[in-house]
Amino acid sequence: MTQEVEMKEAQAPPSNSFSSASTPSTLQHLKEIASLIETGAYAKEVRRIVRAVRLTIMLRRKLKAATALAFINFALVQGSEAHAKLSAYLPKEDEHDMDVDTASSASQGFAKHALPEIEIYCYLLVLIFLIDQKRYDEAKACSSASIARLKNINRRTVDVLASRLYFYYSYSHELTNSLDEIRGNLLALHRMATLRRDELGQETLLNLLLRNYLHYNLYDQAEKLRSKAPRFEAHSNQQFCRYLFYLGKIRTIQLEYTDAKESLLQAARKAPVAARGFRIQCNKWAVIVRLLLGEIPERTVFMQKGMQKALTPYFELTNAVRIGDLELFKTVAEKFSSTFSSDRTNNLIVRLRHNVIRTGLRNISISYSRISLSDVAKKLRLDSSNPVADAESIVAKAIRDGAIDATIDHASRWMLSKETGDIYSTNEPQIAFHSRIAFCLNMHNEAVKALRFPPNSHKEKESAEKRRERQQQEQELAKHIAEDDDDDF
Amino acid sequence: MDPRLVEVTQIFGRFKASLLRNDFVTSSNLLSQLKVLLTKFPSLPPSFQRTANAYEELQIAREIYEHAVLLSVKTEDQDAFERDFFQLKPFYADLKGLIPLSPQEYPILGLNLLRLLVQNRIAEFHTELELLSSDALENPCIKHAVELEQSFMEGAYNRVLSARQTVPHETYVYFMDLLAKTVRDEIAGCSEKAYDYLSIADAKTVLMFSSDQDLSNYVTEEHPEWEIKNGCVFFQKAKDSQPCKEIPSLHLINQTLSYARELERIV
Repeated sequence: MTQEVEMKEAQAPPSNSFSSASTPSTLQHLKEIASLIETGAYAKEVRRIVRAVRLTIMLRRKLKAATALAFINFALVQGSEAHAKLSAYLPKEDEHDMDVDTASSASQGFAKHALPEIEIYCYLLVLIFLIDQKRYDEAKACSSASIARLKNINRRTVDVLASRLYFYYSYSHELTNSLDEIRGNLLALHRMATLRRDELGQETLLNLLLRNYLHYNLYDQAEKLRSKAPRFEAHSNQQFCRYLFYLGKIRTIQLEYTDAKESLLQAARKAPVAARGFRIQCNKWAVIVRLLLGEIPERTVFMQKGMQKALTPYFELTNAVRIGDLELFKTVAEKFSSTFSSDRTNNLIVRLRHNVIRTGLRNISISYSRISLSDVAKKLRLDSSNPVADAESIVAKAIRDGAIDATIDHASRWMLSKETGDIYSTNEPQIAFHSRIAFCLNMHNEAVKALRFPPNSHKEKESAEKRRERQQQEQELAKHIAEDDDDDF
Repeated sequence: MDPRLVEVTQIFGRFKASLLRNDFVTSSNLLSQLKVLLTKFPSLPPSFQRTANAYEELQIAREIYEHAVLLSVKTEDQDAFERDFFQLKPFYADLKGLIPLSPQEYPILGLNLLRLLVQNRIAEFHTELELLSSDALENPCIKHAVELEQSFMEGAYNRVLSARQTVPHETYVYFMDLLAKTVRDEIAGCSEKAYDYLSIADAKTVLMFSSDQDLSNYVTEEHPEWEIKNGCVFFQKAKDSQPCKEIPSLHLINQTLSYARELERIV
C-alpha cells in the first residue's frame, strides 16, 4: 500500500520543471495517441491501445490542466455529456489561451465520431491528472462517473483502458480512505468482466478486490473469493506480482508458511526493479515467513540496494531469533513496535516467540549432552510461576516435533541429548542427492516444455512495408517496456 | 412503537427469564420464535435498510443473538454456537457507527477464539485475530484466549491448565474443560517421544489423573501400545533410522540408469 504513494511522490517534482515550450508537443503527443486509439478501435487491434496507454503513462509528468483541456476540446464533441463533465474538472487558465486556440483549429481535422474508446481515454487522462495534482475528492467523483459510463460499453477494445480505469478508481478511493464503499461495485464489475470474458479486467479487479479485503484485514473473505474466482494465465506481469503478494499474505495468516514463502519470494523476484516499495513489502513478509518456518534469511536479503533502512527492524528481529534470546527478542519487538504495527505484522511477530524458544533450545541441546531442566529454564529465560515444569513440557514438545533429539529423565529432572549419529552411515545422503538431481532434471524438462515460438513463423508473406512498420513498433515497444515498469507500479 | 418490535421485546423478556432459570427447552423454543420474527425486520443484515426503527431493531437483534450464543454454550452445543456466532458477526463488524458498542462483544469474540482453539482450527483462529483492533487485543477476555494459544504452541501446558482458574467470564469454563482434554492428548503424545518410561505416580501427575484406575483406563483406550509393568509406564518408541548395513545396489542401478536416460535427452 505504500509503494504507489512513494513512487508518485518521487515523480511529482519534475512536472514543474517543464517549461511552457514543451506544452504544445505534449498536446501533439496526445493527438497522436488519440489517432492511435482510433486506428486500434477500427482495426480491432487491442495491441495498439495497449501502446497508447503506455505512451500516456510516459506523458503524465508533463501533463498540465491547459493541455488536458485542450485535448478534451479536441477529442470530444463540444456540448456532449462527457465533455461537460470532464472540462468541469479542468480550470481554464488565461495564459495558455494560445494552446487552446491551436487545439480548436486543429480539431476541425479530427473526425468527430465520438468513439467510446476516445471518450474512455479522456476519462482516464483526466483521472490521472487529478490524482497527480492530489485533488483526490474530484478524482473520486470523476472515477465514479467513468465507471458508470463504462458499464454501458461492451467492446473488447475498451477493455485495456477499462482495466486502467478500475485501478485508478480503486486508488482514488484508497487515497480518500473510503475503500469499503466501492466493494460492492468492484464485485459487480468483476462479474461483468467475467461474463464478457475480459481476462485483463478480471485479473485487475480480482487484485483490487483482494487489496480491498486485506485493507480491512478480511482474510477470510479474501481467501474465499480468491479460491473461487476463475484463474487463467496472467496477462500482465504487474498484476501477477500483486496477486502473488496478496496470496502470500493470505497464506501467511492461515499458517501455510511453505506456500506463502514461495509466493512472496516469487512476487519479490518478478517485480520490476523500479517498484522498490512493493519489493520492500514483499521482502518484509518473506523474512517473517522464513523465520516462522525456522529458516534464517541470509544477510544479503537485508543488504539489497535501497532497502537497508526499511529492513533494519526485520534484520534485528532475525538476529534475535537466530541467537534464540527471548530477552533480546522482546526488546527488539518493543523497540520497533510502531514499525511493525504500521506494517501490520505485529500478530505475526507474536507468533515468532515460539520460534525463538525453539532456536534457544536447539543451541542448548547441541552444546550440552546433559543439562538439568532448571538450567534450561534459566537459559531460555522463561519467566513464569513454575519455570521447571514449563521447561519440561516445552522440551517434550520440541522432542515430539523433531526440533531436538533428546530424552528427558523425569525422576532426576535432566534433559539428555542424544549423540548425533554419523549421518553418512545411513541412506539419507543418497536420498537427498537423488532428490536434487531429480529436481534439476525436472526443471530442465519444464523449461523445454515452456519454450515458446512465435505464433506465425511464416512471416515471408508479409509485405516489406508491413514488416518495416512492425519492426518500428517492436523497437518502440522494447524502448518503452523499461519505463512502463517504472510507471505502472 | 411498531407492534412487531413490541412483540419481539415481550418474547425476548420471557426468553431471558427462562435462560436465567436454566430452562433450556423453553429457551430454545422461544429463541426459534424470535429468530423467525427477526426475519421480518428490514433493517437487519443483509439488507441493512435505514428504516425509522432501525436503531431499536438492530440493538434488540444483536442482544438476541448474543443471548443465543450464551444459550448454546450453556447447552454445550458447538454447532449451534458456530451458527449463532456467524449471525452475530455482521452486527459487530459492519455496524460500528450505527449502534453503540455492546458490552458483550469482547467476551463473545474471546469465546469464539477459544472455541476455534479447542477445535484445533488454528488458521481460522489467526484469521479472526487479524480482524481485532489493538484495543480489542488489550481486553482481558481476548488476551486470555491469545495467551492460551501462545502457551499451547510453545508447549507450556501447565500454563494452559492454570489459566482455567483465571477465566475472565463464567461462560469460558465449558471450553476450558474441553481444552483440558485436548491438552492431555497433547501431553500424552509428547511424553511418548520424550521419555523412555515414567513411574506410575509421575505419569499420573503429568497426565493429570487422580487415580491409578483412570490412568490404566486411559492407557488401554487411547494408547494400547504403552506397557505398564514394575510400577512404571513404558513407552514404545519407533526405532530411529538404522545405519545401513548393505548398499541397496538394485535401487542405485535404477537411479543411475534414469540419470543416463535424462542426460541423453539433454545432450
